[in-house]
Amino acid sequence: MQIEIITPDKNLFSGEIKQANFPGTSGSFELLNNHAPIISTLAKGTLKLIDKEGKILTFEINGGVIELLENKIIVLAE
Amino acid sequence: MAGIKEIRTRITSVQNTQKITSAMKMVSAAKLRKAQTAVLQMRPYSEKLKEIIENITSASDDITSTVFSEQKHSGKTLLIPISSNGGLCGGFNSNISKQSIYFINTSLYDEFSRGNIEIFSIGKKVRDLLKTKGYAPNRDETDIYSHLSYSSASEIADEIMFEFLKGNYNKVFLVYNKFKNAATQEVTVEQFLPVASQKQDKAVKQNNYIFEPSESTIISELIPKTLKLQFYNALLESVASEHGARMTAMHAATDNASVLLKDLKIEYNKARQASITNEILEIVSGANALRG
Repeated sequence: MQIEIITPDKNLFSGEIKQANFPGTSGSFELLNNHAPIISTLAKGTLKLIDKEGKILTFEINGGVIELLENKIIVLAE
Repeated sequence: MAGIKEIRTRITSVQNTQKITSAMKMVSAAKLRKAQTAVLQMRPYSEKLKEIIENITSASDDITSTVFSEQKHSGKTLLIPISSNGGLCGGFNSNISKQSIYFINTSLYDEFSRGNIEIFSIGKKVRDLLKTKGYAPNRDETDIYSHLSYSSASEIADEIMFEFLKGNYNKVFLVYNKFKNAATQEVTVEQFLPVASQKQDKAVKQNNYIFEPSESTIISELIPKTLKLQFYNALLESVASEHGARMTAMHAATDNASVLLKDLKIEYNKARQASITNEILEIVSGANALRG
């Protein structure tokens, strides 16, 4: 699935991933392929992505919001 | 007619000034491009945020009003004029102070006559201009431009929103230059708080989102984000306008210097010719006297 991480200052990351782990405001959660559409807010914490080759990418965020629709994740991070 | 030496000194000084103004123009052009990229980079974020909010508000009807859209009756009205720290940019800063004073004396006259206005100026220039006009700002912020980023802008926005929630302010307005293009800026007065409730006219496609946590919690988290973004946007627009205004002002100054130089050169050549003619006359009359 596709992911895009956007901050007001720049485009932090965009690419293809297998799995994503988010620090949600009501506990951390994980999104895999073909997840149902979801909108959720994020708390301060670490965002963990696993890309196609199984490499782990991490991003520190200060909160934000995510939207997933048709295997496209958009993260508005701070 | 001034002496040759004086004209030559003036020509050199005008040439030097011209060098400075044309260098400043180039610097402003480069900074303008940077400022414009910053505005453009923020756009995908703000558009997406707006889209998500629309998605949520279309899914459930009555959550558009939040704590930030409450109409308050106590507290003061806060005016935030945004200017630059540097001068030499034409009417950029004086337009802001003029518009602020005009706004205070027209739309906010009732509050003003009751002493219910506070001013929080951003940038040195508008602070000094307002002070000389007798509207000394209650607070000022001058070093935000050295490290302008979303986080530094949101700190200030956070503080203002907190004061609003405490009931210290009933209304907050931003006065800033909106960037049209490099040559034109539009002085804009924008209501920052309370948030005007958005009317939905276009139907948004329903996607049956899962909301985690509930819709109203998400909205109450997102509205502060849009406010911070609005504040950051105003600052970025103002910075882009400043560089645009300075570029135009410096372009005009360089052109003026060229015109001045042309006139001075003509004057210089006339003076030089006059002195040569004088010298010849003297020699000729001297020779005549010897012969005679």
